[in-house]
Amino acid sequence: MSGLTIMDPLEPHAWRHGTVVAGTLWKNPVGTASGTFNLDACGGYYDVSQMGAISTKGVSPVPWEGNPTPRTAESPAGMVNSVGLQNPGVDHYLVDELPRLKALGANVITNVAGHSDEDYATVVERLADSPADMLEINVSCPNVSHGGMSVGTDAKALNRLITRLRALTDKPMVVKLTPNVTDIVEVARAAVDGGADALSLINTLVGMRIDINTGRPILAQGTGGVSGPCILPIALSFVWRVRQALPEVPIIGIGGIDSGLTALEFLYAGANAVEVGAAALVDPVAPMRVARELDDLLDERPELADLLEKGECWR
Amino acid sequence: MKPNLFISTSRVEEQAQEAGRLPGRRTAQVTGMEPLDRQVWRMIIRDPYLAAHAPAGAFINLYSADRMTMMPRPFGISRVLEGEQIEIIFAVVGQGTYEFSRLQPDMAVDLLGPLGHGFDLEKPAHYLLVGGGLGVPPLIRAAQCLQGQSGVRTTALLGYRDHRFADAIMGSLTDRLESIDNASGDVITLLDRVRGDIDPGRTIILTCGPLPMMRAVAAWARKAGLPAQCCMESRMGCGYGTCVACVVDTVDGRLKVCKDGPVFAADRLIWNTDEDKKETR
Ligand SMILES: Cc1cc2nc3c(=O)[nH]c(=O)nc-3n(C[C@H](O)[C@H](O)[C@H](O)COP(=O)(O)OP(=O)(O)OC[C@H]3O[C@@H](n4cnc5c(N)ncnc54)[C@H](O)[C@@H]3O)c2cc1C
Ligand SMILES: Cc1cc2nc3c(=O)[nH]c(=O)nc-3n(C[C@H](O)[C@H](O)[C@H](O)COP(=O)(O)O)c2cc1C
Ligand code: FES
Repeated sequence: MSGLTIMDPLEPHAWRHGTVVAGTLWKNPVGTASGTFNLDACGGYYDVSQMGAISTKGVSPVPWEGNPTPRTAESPAGMVNSVGLQNPGVDHYLVDELPRLKALGANVITNVAGHSDEDYATVVERLADSPADMLEINVSCPNVSHGGMSVGTDAKALNRLITRLRALTDKPMVVKLTPNVTDIVEVARAAVDGGADALSLINTLVGMRIDINTGRPILAQGTGGVSGPCILPIALSFVWRVRQALPEVPIIGIGGIDSGLTALEFLYAGANAVEVGAAALVDPVAPMRVARELDDLLDERPELADLLEKGECWR
Repeated sequence: MKPNLFISTSRVEEQAQEAGRLPGRRTAQVTGMEPLDRQVWRMIIRDPYLAAHAPAGAFINLYSADRMTMMPRPFGISRVLEGEQIEIIFAVVGQGTYEFSRLQPDMAVDLLGPLGHGFDLEKPAHYLLVGGGLGVPPLIRAAQCLQGQSGVRTTALLGYRDHRFADAIMGSLTDRLESIDNASGDVITLLDRVRGDIDPGRTIILTCGPLPMMRAVAAWARKAGLPAQCCMESRMGCGYGTCVACVVDTVDGRLKVCKDGPVFAADRLIWNTDEDKKETR
């Protein structure tokens, strides 16, 4: 466990350093990453309303069963997953997790999944009048056969999809990008031109592990998505490159964050906020601890803290 | 990677209690380590919260001290011991379990728990504890919880590959114990052996072990008209219900082994034969 500061992440805390992402106020710059937060599981460990934002598991138009098991394999300083977006669907989300999160006072980013443009449009439409604070369009999941990453790797298809979704909602729309591309700037630009209010990056990198006893992949699906500390330097470089090319667009940095220090690196790479993923799977309180550590670190960095508070970023 | 010596700085349990929350990942003290067999170890850990909240069938996550191997390693709680301690029994099968087997008393280990939804032991009945290999630990905890309960009888039926490493512990907690090794048969052999001693109206099977074994036990139970509860295993990403990695197919849909289980009623599970083949290889 990180030994940066000995503090109690559960103690009531008055946040000193907030951020603004696409006009939405976050009480601190740290959110949970989609697929690594579940209210019933995490709500017991900390007060979810105290996170900067909660990005929920991808929701699809109808319930999805996900992939066969095994769905996880360990990798050095990380993990490979092929959950395949198992979720109970948007109708369930609208009467269950979303209202419960809002009743607790959470700032909610609803992560949207689909196999086709039609799927994404259906979900975005269903969410248009919901109490969700932001939408995060997941065009970057490597674990579904259609939609997901296939949209996020094709600038033209992505632009067409985001343009269509833009017409369906007034909510701040974040587009979540995949690193499995040759030119991240091209897809980032396509999303922004289509009407994205912000970008979040990165989703997982395609990877796999082999079971040397059987000579077969450990994951039933063969390949999956790599996350955890091992992807930190890669994620930072993606955020930094997009920030260089697109100085104005709000960016949520994701990938391998497990401490206030690693979160801070993303803010210096040009992110306006961050999300914590795999670290939460191995320590339920990790997102809250990262937020508390970052709050202390920003005390000593007033210039950066001021920029974030104004909805601007480090350049 | 050298595991740390335990120094009592972790206040996670107190902090959680003050905040009215579940205690998260914390560092606990290893207080005992003993081999039970070649590559099978019994580890004792001091953790007041676990000792006070350890239903039968519940498990804990242990974490490596090496950040290269970050994923949780789940282990069934086998006993609660005096002095706010719990016991686990594990086999060395890979990197994490090798590292844990090198821990010594007074060293530190990170853990999370208790996790999962355990056995239903509410009914006074004759409990048949049917375990195979490293599936025995949660049944030992069940025996411990059932011991001395009025109207309860316990019979343990244990199958091993070779050495009967858990017989001594289990034998001290149950009314009757029968065990067998691979050379002479399996737990079905034992079930057939005790059949005459079973009153179908008041007998409950609890089982934990390799998937093909549990499938056979569930089939035997169905034929004998007995209810059975199965303690399942699955590759996990978090162990506390967040990542949806650990699912099992049931008549109620795809459920999480770590949170909806690991214990499921045998007649709710959908037994997929192809999956079994893959697991047993
Ligand atoms: C609910 C539950 C209870 C368990 N109780 C016990 C017990 O009481 N005693 C015991 O000896 N074992 C138990 N196991 C199995 C134990 O978790 C694995 O043997 C252990 O995780 C292997 O870790 P490793 O680092 O040595 O192996 P590695 O192969 O190096 O592990 C790599 C990854 O695969 C996972 N993994 C490997 N084998 C298994 C497995 N069989 N099941 C689940 N995940 C696995 C590990 O957790 C790790 O994330 C239990 C498993 C589950 C799911
Ligand atoms: C088990 C698991 C499930 C995930 N599910 C989703 C998802 O539903 N939608 C999504 O946009 N990203 C999903 N992700 C990706 C994460 O949100 C994040 O982008 C990625 O894991 C990198 O961050 P990390 O290194 O902090 O984990 C998932 C990741 C993991 C590990
Ligand atoms: S292991 Fe993550 S939900 Fe079960």
